[in-house]
Amino acid sequence: MNMFLHELKAYRNSTIIWSLGLIAIVVLFLSLYPSFSRDAEEFMKVLEGFPEELRKAIGLSFETLATLLGFFSYSFLYIKLSGAVQAMNLGLSIISKETRDKTADFLLTKPVTRTQVITSKLFAALTSLVFTNLAFLASVMVMASFVKTEDFSEQALLMVSVTLLFIQLIFLSLGIMIAVLIPRIKSVISISLGTVFTFFILGMISSSTADKGLRYLTPFNYFDNQYIIRTLEYEGEFIFIGISIIFTAVLASYWIYGKKDVHSV
Amino acid sequence: MSVIEISNLTKLYGNSRGISDVSFNVEEGEIFGFIGPNGAGKSTTIRTLLSLIYPTSGSAKIFGKDVVKYAPEIKRDIGYLPSEVFYYDNMKVIDLLKYSASFYKKDCTRRIKELSEILELDLNRKIEDLSLGNKKKVGIVQGLLHEPKLIILDEPTSGLDPLMQQKFFDLLEKENKKGVTILFSSHILSEVQRLCDRVAIIKEGKIVQVDRISTLKENNYKKFKIETKTEVDFRAFDVAGVNQIEIKANTISFIFRGNINSILKKISEIEIANLWIEEPTLEEIFMHFYKKEE
Repeated sequence: MNMFLHELKAYRNSTIIWSLGLIAIVVLFLSLYPSFSRDAEEFMKVLEGFPEELRKAIGLSFETLATLLGFFSYSFLYIKLSGAVQAMNLGLSIISKETRDKTADFLLTKPVTRTQVITSKLFAALTSLVFTNLAFLASVMVMASFVKTEDFSEQALLMVSVTLLFIQLIFLSLGIMIAVLIPRIKSVISISLGTVFTFFILGMISSSTADKGLRYLTPFNYFDNQYIIRTLEYEGEFIFIGISIIFTAVLASYWIYGKKDVHSV
Repeated sequence: MSVIEISNLTKLYGNSRGISDVSFNVEEGEIFGFIGPNGAGKSTTIRTLLSLIYPTSGSAKIFGKDVVKYAPEIKRDIGYLPSEVFYYDNMKVIDLLKYSASFYKKDCTRRIKELSEILELDLNRKIEDLSLGNKKKVGIVQGLLHEPKLIILDEPTSGLDPLMQQKFFDLLEKENKKGVTILFSSHILSEVQRLCDRVAIIKEGKIVQVDRISTLKENNYKKFKIETKTEVDFRAFDVAGVNQIEIKANTISFIFRGNINSILKKISEIEIANLWIEEPTLEEIFMHFYKKEE
């Protein structure tokens, strides 16, 4: 419990800043909605000039863009991107900082098992992400009710928004696993940005082509917003893949961390 | 009873050398010195004892329990101080110490206060603002606050001024009187000689010798350097106990082992310009050890 609280405190400021950042994106995007929906037709004409692949890649869908849900889904692409960076950063740094700051000796000469160390860090990271998501969800719901021009399905909005946490969990577990695998990480942000953007670009390529296979490769596309809005359901197959990735990465992290040598500085 | 039992411990790092076939025991209540030059494998041995790294072969027991299998349990009663201390920079000293104490199921408040008063450590400063010596003090308090039964020190004196070093040694001796066992690794022979009952000497990953310090003291090594006014026939120093004699123009240096009076008499026979008598470095003693083996 002491390690959990220590980690939680260590990441308190970063969690608050990321939450505020996501809220700012939500507020910014959704506050554009009223003026956008007023001139929706004009926009559509402009957008028609864009190549279809590009529109698909950045998640623009003509049928729904004029609705609040459609507009939100579009902006959600960028929220997912920031959220993934946050989660990956957190996972990488919460493990690797002990080696980077050379505090591993301090922690691991205490009467704790390595499993307890990972568990505490994992739960602290989870708590931090859940907090971020609660702040994000609240801001989405509040902003949506402010800017709506007509009634919309709150359930669909919630279901789309909740996928942020799921994507974050995937990136968190990947981050933790990478941090356990690489002996010394000098710069967390370069690894997290690199990984996240690779998946993001893969996601854009996957969206713009109809290639179904590519979709399995990038967690960004495990949730098809149009599908969720239409059916009010998630695609079970991708939920399963997502959960499998999380479990594999977390279990591998426990296993590797338990066995590895902690070298002196 | 042996507090530490190391048997045939080997740790290889890929191609580079770690330690090989290290065996020795540390008995309850003794201060055991562990000496060797840098890179000899002192830290590797200690880190294996603390299960920070895992042995390639062989095993070690602390309090009769295997160090890998019972690591968390054993560590409840171990205090560890590394040569370089690193803590969470943005924490205050008191918060770090409280965090450290929170790992042990006992109230350490009184002990923290006591230790920091002895060492004159300001508890309200941030770790990142501390000097090397003050960080070291945090390390000492951190290692002793839970009143461990075994204290493991890995070259602990670096960064401490002589006065603090003295206080630190006094602290250790006080703990030792209470029955605490201490494993003290160092490359400085004098501090090991001062403090320890027995020593293990390690070189190139292997234990060269395990001996009582009193035996080593009988082998009273001194390093002599003499500057003479005129050129001297070095055969004058060709007496028992003189080793590694080196002559450069008007200076003669050698390692001497034996009755110090006899060599001083020899020196008094010649006209000297200057004289240095020093503790030989460990390496110089080692050379002696190896010469004997050959």
